[in-house]
Amino acid sequence: MRNLGMRREQRIKMSLIYLFLGLTLIFVLFPFIWMVLTSFKTNAEAMSIPPTWVPQKFTTASYIDMWVRKPFGIYFMNSTIIASCTAILSTILGGLAAYGFSRFIFKGKALILGIFLATQMLPGGLLIGPYFRMLSKVGLFNTRLGLIIAFITICLPFCTWMLKGFFDTVPKELDQAAMIDGCSRLGVFYKIILPVATPGMVATIIFAFLLAWCDVLWALCLTSTHSMGTVTLGIMRCVGEFQIDWPMLMAGSIIASMPAIILYLLLQKFLVAGLTAGAVKE
Amino acid sequence: MKIFKGRIKDSQIGYFFILPAFIMLLLVIFYPMIISLIMSFSFESRSGHTLGNYTLLFRDSLFWQTLKNHLIFVGIVVFFHIIIGLSIAIALNTRIRAKLFFRLIALLPWTVPDVVAGITWKWMYDPVYGLLNDLLSRLNLIHSPILWLSDPKLALASIIFADIWRGFPFVMIILLAGLQAIPEELYEAARIDGSSGFQAFRFITVPSLKKLLIVALVLDIVWESRRFGLIQAMTQGGPGHLTEIFPTLIYKEYFQFFRFEYASAIAIILSIILLVVSFPYIKEITRGE
Repeated sequence: MRNLGMRREQRIKMSLIYLFLGLTLIFVLFPFIWMVLTSFKTNAEAMSIPPTWVPQKFTTASYIDMWVRKPFGIYFMNSTIIASCTAILSTILGGLAAYGFSRFIFKGKALILGIFLATQMLPGGLLIGPYFRMLSKVGLFNTRLGLIIAFITICLPFCTWMLKGFFDTVPKELDQAAMIDGCSRLGVFYKIILPVATPGMVATIIFAFLLAWCDVLWALCLTSTHSMGTVTLGIMRCVGEFQIDWPMLMAGSIIASMPAIILYLLLQKFLVAGLTAGAVKE
Repeated sequence: MKIFKGRIKDSQIGYFFILPAFIMLLLVIFYPMIISLIMSFSFESRSGHTLGNYTLLFRDSLFWQTLKNHLIFVGIVVFFHIIIGLSIAIALNTRIRAKLFFRLIALLPWTVPDVVAGITWKWMYDPVYGLLNDLLSRLNLIHSPILWLSDPKLALASIIFADIWRGFPFVMIILLAGLQAIPEELYEAARIDGSSGFQAFRFITVPSLKKLLIVALVLDIVWESRRFGLIQAMTQGGPGHLTEIFPTLIYKEYFQFFRFEYASAIAIILSIILLVVSFPYIKEITRGE
């Protein structure tokens, strides 16, 4: 009898959990569905009163228009170049530093590590002004190289911290064995650590890529022409226009978000591990 | 003797590994930071004393307005991120089916660039063509369109709602990782000892999650305090600075009003706040290094 009651209680509990998760799903998906539905409408239909929900006249014109009528091709190229270079540079520099933090005991290590982390907490607003002036002075304002250097400020500390977490999971005995065999420290890093930590390296490169891909503040402040604009900046500029072509804007947003959505969903576990590394270990 | 020598050398190699990254940080972060700091103490036109920008700041009603908005924005957003994130994490840590499906869907808002989140909500909020007013009028809840983003009373609330949507998944995945790390035996032992579900939550779940809650709280406060794209895309701080928070104000002072020195002073104040907030996290996470 008691057992039966408990089972019923259990069933009610589970139903409530499903109900809660169902509501969450609606809350989360609503804007996405509206985004997708809008992108398949004609501009005239998007501007109809009252709004239609499902496209009456299904069209993929927006997905073609964004490349033809707006320079999204250039935006994508810029974003890809800038984010890739930033990611690779930050991961190389960050990887070396992470190995140093992971394998050596030296004076002031906790302090230097703390400084690396603290730089990640600084607001972009602190640096954009000086950057604007510095880049203008050396002729790098409104260039891809200027943006790459700027994005390293965001990505380098992040990469260092994340890679240190991955390197910490590689046993030190591997290093020692290789060094007894006559390998130098740099050789150990290159021949032993990198191959073992490849998944971690790949995850780090991708996250650095996404940090740069999703940013808009730096691109807004450090570029001035469409030929140097990034995807997120291009989208934001569309909002400022007098007549917003919403279907095209939504199509652009969906395409711009695709790499981020896919990569984040694939790699979410790595990110959690990276961000919480020091906090969960006892 | 040789081994001893080798060790000293080895620890010095540690510096060499860190050196390239450290030099890079000096160039791209510390140098601009110092320029900003110096700029905040200098006065452009008049030769006022060195604290001129700061005294001006504290008499500026826009600064106080922004500070108020900022605290309301970050406070409410982070509060709901933690509440919603924790609730969903707990729900996902039960014996439900399709766990991965729910988790990936719930993660979606966090994966899009915040500009995209901003314009999508701007489009949802559109008073004439937007989905939200249409839905509410179909349900007969409203009779005239609500001006979500231009009504002074609603603008900040509308932005806060959009940002709650955008940011809760981060707290959720962090806390879910923490929940999954709690051994099931602890709960079983508590059940055998006859403790209630609430007691188990209070004495097992909360203490085990404490560290991760702090991590989530600190990182979320810092990240929301730097939120720019979402607000810039939705209202640009308007109407009449009612949705102005520090990042949008600093941007305006720099690139619309061209008051570099003044903007630097605001940025320095925000930086100090964020460093103070994140200090416990940095200290905790570098402990034992």
